[in-house]
Amino acid sequence: MSYAYLFKYIIIGDTGVGKSCLLLQFTDKRFQPVHDLTIGVEFGARMITIDNKPIKLQIWDTAGQESFRSITRSYYRGAAGALLVYDITRRETFNHLASWLEDARQHANANMTIMLIGNKSDLAHRRAVSTEEGEQFAKEHGLIFMEASAKTAQNVEEAFIKTAATIYKKIQDGVFDVSNESYGIKVGYGGIPGPSGGRDGSSSQGGSCCS
Amino acid sequence: MDLVSGYKGVVGLVFGNENSASNEDSYVERLLDRISNGTLAEDRRIAIAELQSVVAESRAAQLAFGAMGFPILMGVLREERDDVEMIRGALETLVSALTPLDHAKGPKNEIQPALMNTDLLSREADSISLLLSLLAEEDFYVRYYTLQILTALLTNSQIRLQEAILTIPRGITRLMDMLMDREVIRNEALLLLTYLTREAEEIQKIVVFEGAFEKIFSIIKEEGGSEGGVVVQDCLELLNNLLLNNASNQLHLRETLGFDSIISILKLRGSSYSFTQQKTINLLSALETINLLMMGSSEAEPGKDANKLTNKTVLVQKKLLDHLLMLGVESQWAPAPVRCTALRCIGDLISGHPKNVDALASKVLGEEPQVEPALNSILRIILRTSSMQEFVAADHIFKSFCEKNADGQAMLASTLIPQPHSMTHAPLEEDVNMSFGSMLLHGLTLSESDGDLETCCRAASVLSHVLKDNIQCKERVLRIELEAPMASLGAPEPLMHRMVRYLALASSVKKKDGKSSTRGNLYIQPIILKLLVTWLADCPSAVQSFLDSRPHLTYLLELVFNPSATVCIRGLGAILLGECVIYNKSSDSGKDAFTIVDAISEKVGLTSYFLKFDEMQKNFVFSSAKPGQPHKPLTRSTAASVAKIEDVDENDSTDQKNEDHPILAAIFDAQFINFIKSLEANIRENIVDVYSRPKSELAVVPAEMEQKSGESDKDYVKRLKAFVETQCSEIQKLLGRNATLAEDLAKVGGSGHSQLEQRVNGGLERVQAETLRRDLQEASRRMEMLKAEKAQIESEASMYRNLAGKLESDLKSLSDAYNSLEQANFHLEKELKALKSGGTTTAPDLEAIKAEAREEAVKESEVELNDLLVCLGQEQSKVEKLSARLLELGEDVDKLLEDIGDDVGLPADEEEDED
Repeated sequence: MSYAYLFKYIIIGDTGVGKSCLLLQFTDKRFQPVHDLTIGVEFGARMITIDNKPIKLQIWDTAGQESFRSITRSYYRGAAGALLVYDITRRETFNHLASWLEDARQHANANMTIMLIGNKSDLAHRRAVSTEEGEQFAKEHGLIFMEASAKTAQNVEEAFIKTAATIYKKIQDGVFDVSNESYGIKVGYGGIPGPSGGRDGSSSQGGSCCS
Repeated sequence: MDLVSGYKGVVGLVFGNENSASNEDSYVERLLDRISNGTLAEDRRIAIAELQSVVAESRAAQLAFGAMGFPILMGVLREERDDVEMIRGALETLVSALTPLDHAKGPKNEIQPALMNTDLLSREADSISLLLSLLAEEDFYVRYYTLQILTALLTNSQIRLQEAILTIPRGITRLMDMLMDREVIRNEALLLLTYLTREAEEIQKIVVFEGAFEKIFSIIKEEGGSEGGVVVQDCLELLNNLLLNNASNQLHLRETLGFDSIISILKLRGSSYSFTQQKTINLLSALETINLLMMGSSEAEPGKDANKLTNKTVLVQKKLLDHLLMLGVESQWAPAPVRCTALRCIGDLISGHPKNVDALASKVLGEEPQVEPALNSILRIILRTSSMQEFVAADHIFKSFCEKNADGQAMLASTLIPQPHSMTHAPLEEDVNMSFGSMLLHGLTLSESDGDLETCCRAASVLSHVLKDNIQCKERVLRIELEAPMASLGAPEPLMHRMVRYLALASSVKKKDGKSSTRGNLYIQPIILKLLVTWLADCPSAVQSFLDSRPHLTYLLELVFNPSATVCIRGLGAILLGECVIYNKSSDSGKDAFTIVDAISEKVGLTSYFLKFDEMQKNFVFSSAKPGQPHKPLTRSTAASVAKIEDVDENDSTDQKNEDHPILAAIFDAQFINFIKSLEANIRENIVDVYSRPKSELAVVPAEMEQKSGESDKDYVKRLKAFVETQCSEIQKLLGRNATLAEDLAKVGGSGHSQLEQRVNGGLERVQAETLRRDLQEASRRMEMLKAEKAQIESEASMYRNLAGKLESDLKSLSDAYNSLEQANFHLEKELKALKSGGTTTAPDLEAIKAEAREEAVKESEVELNDLLVCLGQEQSKVEKLSARLLELGEDVDKLLEDIGDDVGLPADEEEDED
């Protein structure tokens, strides 16, 4: 279980865009055509390697339905990365992106890395949102963008890893105080301590804090 | 009501009585007024301190505060953040208002003001978010009191508060931060989180997202693991809340922190032989965690089952078995509840998991050269322990081990080799080097000499697991022969016969011995019967062996119909008897299925035999809901009692009204019960079948009836005569059987409630039923058709009705129009007439009526006037008489009359009016 870093991700987006399937493809390498509606949140985890360093990803897949918003918002602040997913065959899921982003900006920490994913790229014949539109939206809002398919696994691996690589780079650039776990990043063994934190940050936290 | 309280108020004021409600009311009200309207900061602080102390002491003040105080104190908390002392005071007052006061005066069923107050406060979602925001304050006491308030709210209004906290942004994050605070706050926060996470899946997940696992385990480590104090217990309770039925969180723990963290708590460090009660509870809580991981999540989804299995796999990979064996088997100084729970955990860990079964089979315990397989050590516990709980827990391991594990069963059975006589009678202490089988055989036969069959029945229970569903093992064990207890008693006897003998012995011990063995027998006979039932199932040679000794059948019949045996024993005996029928492949007359059915029906009749099954089904062991026992979490309040109980069965059985021993509920698990139920159905069917189709002893071959070619007449006649004789005797037998059946039928009284009867008459009935069913089908089909027709006709009818209605209404409107026209016409005609006739009027008529009415009115008023005049005269004479009398008495009559005159004046006026 030893890792250099641990990153917490959330997956958000409208209901039915394939969030749970993306997670399942990433963690279990399988596709489930019929997936139950997610209730609240579900957890998944996987180890990846970036820059020869083992990195643990903890991923919380949230329910897209409006009724769960108050619950899922609790997960924004503590996450280092977010996968914002829409369905390229359903225009309305693309139209709702702005409101998802607003939610994220309001509840998440400012340095959260957001990856925009146009899912179901295998259904190109039913496409309702062009790749260019997705790119344009991502550019306007400073997001990373990719089209992917949970069914064929195309770009799924890449999406999760590219997000992690971006976060990793931010750490190297000293954007985060990694000793503060509220950014959704934890330093394990072999990780480079952040500019102001210590490698043993997690163990010293048990002691009394300034209060 | 009001008067009483007012009175009390006065008394209270006068005597300074604290009981007085209104006194408290006004006092609290004054203090609140000073707090909200006061201008001097110091005065307000004093007021709030006074308020706190009065609310902390009296229920009346709590009540009064609840009625008026919350908005004011919330106002203070909201707007006076800079004044730490005011904030502290307000929070402390709230704590006091929510803390139940113990010294209850007055009636017991009186409402608790503290509970009412928590209810009031928890209703306001705004208050909750205000309180949560206070957790960010610098001041220690502010955070401390705030946590206490939230805990109080959670204890009484759990669901409402859980919902409120979920909707507050970052609410749970704030609470989680408190785990990193200094010790006092941290411990308070642990309790709070424990309440918060109870039965709230979404909160559990968020808490885990916020890093609860890491924090919990770091606190446990800091506090010294299982050696730590109550804080470790609190941590484990919170941990268990987070894992109970929560697949997502279980996965998180497994994938992120790993199970090592929880397993290491179970590791006994050094040579600590002392188990304080706290350590016992800590260990039990950690074992509970393991249990929750093995249970997976409650939903029976196929995908989630994999989670459960993976958990078990990982647990064993992380060497959990070693620690459990240490706790359950090797640490005989550990408290019984810990040992039993560890043993049960081992059983669950291997249950349904072939790899873990193998892992257990290959474990050895002890140090060289005194090593032995772990299974042997566990068997020794079963044979020797004085605790029934421990026996049941260890027995569970063998049950799980043998379940669907033919190789494992064969491995165990292969060691069942009888030892020479001297060896079997060696004391138990020398068994370290014994094989599993020798130890088991030793246990089976050891106790006969002292008449105590306890050990024997425990060994029998293990043996039944080894034999279950495994024909090779059953046959192998059938071949085992034991030396006679005393060499002089002759030939060696098969193990099975020995078991039947012990079964009989168990009931005879009961008769001559004292109370203790009576109790013991309540499970000894059933457990031995369970072994035999398991053994004979699907195994004709076992049936054969059982019936080899003629007295067995007689004994069994007696047992089944022995009124002094328990329902359970009779029922199991009946099942065993049934197995002798359905698994009987013997063609030997005297031992075949036919003979046994005959014996049953001759002895008591089939009906009362089948009745034994019904009776058993109603028994508590069978009827109590087995699967899905509600999971009882180990909380702070229950932990102590769990840790203290040494052996539950002693307490339980005495107040049980049931004649059966509670231990049976554990030994007769759901699987066995289901097995019995399916056997029972099978037996009923088979017996009726055997009975209704008696095998003919004599094949009738027409060709043989003819005289053979070389046969003399005399021989032919002789042969025929013999043939007739046998047939005659067979007819005789059948007649006898018929008589028994008829008798049986008569006994039931033809009431038809017995299943047997239904089956006996089944043939005819079935035919009739079939015809009836066909008729019914035909009829119902016709009815359907008719119904459809009817519906169609009805709809048509309603259509026509509508049409008719419409026409009618048309007609009506037409006729109305005609009528109105006619009427108009009539009027016009009348008017025309009137105009024609000109001056003549109706006026004289009116005049006449008026005159008549006037006359009548005058007449009436005259009569009334006369009456009044008479009255007046009478009154006048009365006045005169009274005046005279008054004059006599020397009163001023004129003055008096004048006064009265005012009153009399009114009627006088009226009189004038009348005139």
